[in-house]
Amino acid sequence: MSSEVLSITGLKKSYGSKEVLKGIDLKVDKGEIIGYIGPNGAGKSTTVKLMLGLEEGYSGRIEIFGEDIAGQGGSYKQRIGYIPETSEMYDSLTAQEYLTFVAELYGMDYDDADRKAEQLFDVFGLGDVYHSRISSFSKGMRQKTLIVSSFLHNPDLLFLDEPLTGLDANSVMVFKEILARFAAEGKTIFYSSHIMDVVEKISNRIVLLHGGHIVANGSFEELKTQSKEGSLESIFNQMTGFHEHEDRAAEFVSIVREG
Amino acid sequence: MENFLILRLLDLFKPVFLKMGVEYKTMRRILQVKLTMDQRRKPTVFSQSMKKKDKPEKNEFFKSLWIYGFFGLMLIPFLFLKENYLFQVSILFSIFMFIIMTTLISDFSSVLLDLRDKSVLDTKPVKSKTVSMAKLLHVTIYMLYITLATTLIPLVVSVIFKGILFSGLLLASFALADIFIIAFTALLYLFILRYFDGEKLKDIINYVQIALSIGIMIGYQVVARSFELVNLDYQLEFAWWQLLLPPMWFAGLFDVLLGGSRSFGNVILTLFAVLGPVVSILVYVKMIPDFERNLQKLTAQTGKKKASSKWKVFRSMPFFISKEELPFFRFTRIMMKNERDFKLKVYPSLGFAVVVPFVFMFNSYSMMSFEEFAASRSYLTIYSVMLVIPMSVIMLAHSGSYKGSWIYQVAPVKSLGLINKAALKAFLFQLFLPLFLLVSIMFSFLFGLRILDDLIAVFLAALIYTLLCYLAGERELAFSLPFDAVKQSGDIKVFLLFLIIPLFVGLHFLALILPFGVAGYAILLFAVNWILWKRLR
Repeated sequence: MSSEVLSITGLKKSYGSKEVLKGIDLKVDKGEIIGYIGPNGAGKSTTVKLMLGLEEGYSGRIEIFGEDIAGQGGSYKQRIGYIPETSEMYDSLTAQEYLTFVAELYGMDYDDADRKAEQLFDVFGLGDVYHSRISSFSKGMRQKTLIVSSFLHNPDLLFLDEPLTGLDANSVMVFKEILARFAAEGKTIFYSSHIMDVVEKISNRIVLLHGGHIVANGSFEELKTQSKEGSLESIFNQMTGFHEHEDRAAEFVSIVREG
Repeated sequence: MENFLILRLLDLFKPVFLKMGVEYKTMRRILQVKLTMDQRRKPTVFSQSMKKKDKPEKNEFFKSLWIYGFFGLMLIPFLFLKENYLFQVSILFSIFMFIIMTTLISDFSSVLLDLRDKSVLDTKPVKSKTVSMAKLLHVTIYMLYITLATTLIPLVVSVIFKGILFSGLLLASFALADIFIIAFTALLYLFILRYFDGEKLKDIINYVQIALSIGIMIGYQVVARSFELVNLDYQLEFAWWQLLLPPMWFAGLFDVLLGGSRSFGNVILTLFAVLGPVVSILVYVKMIPDFERNLQKLTAQTGKKKASSKWKVFRSMPFFISKEELPFFRFTRIMMKNERDFKLKVYPSLGFAVVVPFVFMFNSYSMMSFEEFAASRSYLTIYSVMLVIPMSVIMLAHSGSYKGSWIYQVAPVKSLGLINKAALKAFLFQLFLPLFLLVSIMFSFLFGLRILDDLIAVFLAALIYTLLCYLAGERELAFSLPFDAVKQSGDIKVFLLFLIIPLFVGLHFLALILPFGVAGYAILLFAVNWILWKRLR
């Protein structure tokens, strides 16, 4: 079996007359952590949604675990974990109820899921709210719940869309370490975010999407030599052709002052 | 999580679902979760606390069922009409289908059109067929409860007086009608979803819902009257258009099975009664994938609306809207225009409000000549426009994005009461006034300009009534509560508030007897308005 987990060829997607993805080619190997970045509206979330089958109607080919996802039910989702950008959950349920429900959708046994979820909650320091409703949770607690729900069934491929939202610095460290360990174990992580420092540190490969195309694809070191910029943030600015941040900031400040 | 009785009943049909290719265990689990969530009210923003103990769960939904039992009482008189099944049953089913369909549209559209499920369920290895079936059953279960609540008493009455046979057929027909309504509504949505997209689609659904509610109301009047105009013994001849009125199908069914009719028309109607629901549900099940695909369009945010700058007018009206109120007035107007859930709950009743005065009026019209009628006091039926007020005022406190109301607390607003005062004014201006003017103009054509002073008095009364409805309510801040909290307190309160309207009519009648009474009445109302609105903080 090849080590290729994900393969996208010539992926195009339009909404009405607006073409969002204009031909994406991407191959991801087992154990990689891909940092998937791009400006707002570049089509990052659309790509992820297409891979999860949340959106339909594209041209091109998406293969996950070596099989074309079109036409093969949803069984490949069995091995995928997903943290959506909009932290949508059934939040009138308690964490226990929600997590066991999700686990059962992945075919896990209720008791196993319950035990495992509670242990994971404990690790995150949330043991005492395991039986409380999610609607009463803070942002960080909700995010931890989402993280637990996406790992519970021990997936091989993870799609993480801004997974750190609302987490405190300590939790961020824990989570980064978790990702590193899983990647070392051979899990593949597809990580999209706007926080460049984190992407820079954790990814072994960075894919930059701009205007419906992939404009950069390589390790941070490769990108650095390519663009002669020091940080991922400035690489990002350069590649997306954005140079006017000082002007924009000055304009903002002066408008606020006007009163 | 509770193991619901209804799910245990559903287990009996497990083989059927498995045969259809549905993952039964998963579907059952999804339903269980959905039903559990329905039982819980979301806590509101300001009363949110972390260590809130879960109270023993009582389904709020079941508490609201009594109102359907009450509606059901309306069915009973029609059980005792002469042995003319065609007439009796078509009226019976007109009312029944009206109740069920309006409930489905206003309360359960959100289930059919729910998008939250997508990110939670569709990312999991679950067949879309299973999810869709769970959705369909979720709606069906509620329809079942509502049907039972509505028909239980009529059914008991019919067992006692009409016998088992009649009642059994009645029950079966109610079930068929339910199936038809669910499938028909879903197919209607599907049809719209197919040809339009994004924002426009939501608007269209909104308007269809409104039109449908009004249409059913008028249709009911037509059915009732078509029998009234000819006399009761009249045997309605079969005509093709009867096939377009589902209540007539069931009338045909009864006439064939119990009335012994073998006429061609009735047999056709009977066929429709049986095949209509079956075919429509089969078509729906076939179309489900299509439905789900198109549902995605609901998330697409398209279209830019031009901002209007009509607000400037109000800056020069400090008498009605103070400077502090203006921002909230503006805000409420925009919210009422854009908040879909609000429109969905309130707009259909706006439609009713236009129709109802005429319905009442024609009821009295049928007894006199036009001259008599034009000189009469039938125009007082315009008070029924006020029926729209209680629901609207209650709904003003609710919003789909209620969590945004933290802004009220954070902003340096002088008095929070101001927000509601402005919101009420915005409602009166934006929704009530146009409606009232429309009906007033139509009435002025019918009754002449002599009723002008009466109309002014009615409008002043409506202003007071609005305030009373507000004071009787929770007085929560505008758009600060989630919608699901409405159900349980709403129905009873709205109903009680309706009872105030006849008091106004009574006073108006008294005023009509006295010389210059109406003018005096209007001045009195104006003074009361003045005091009440001034004191509202």
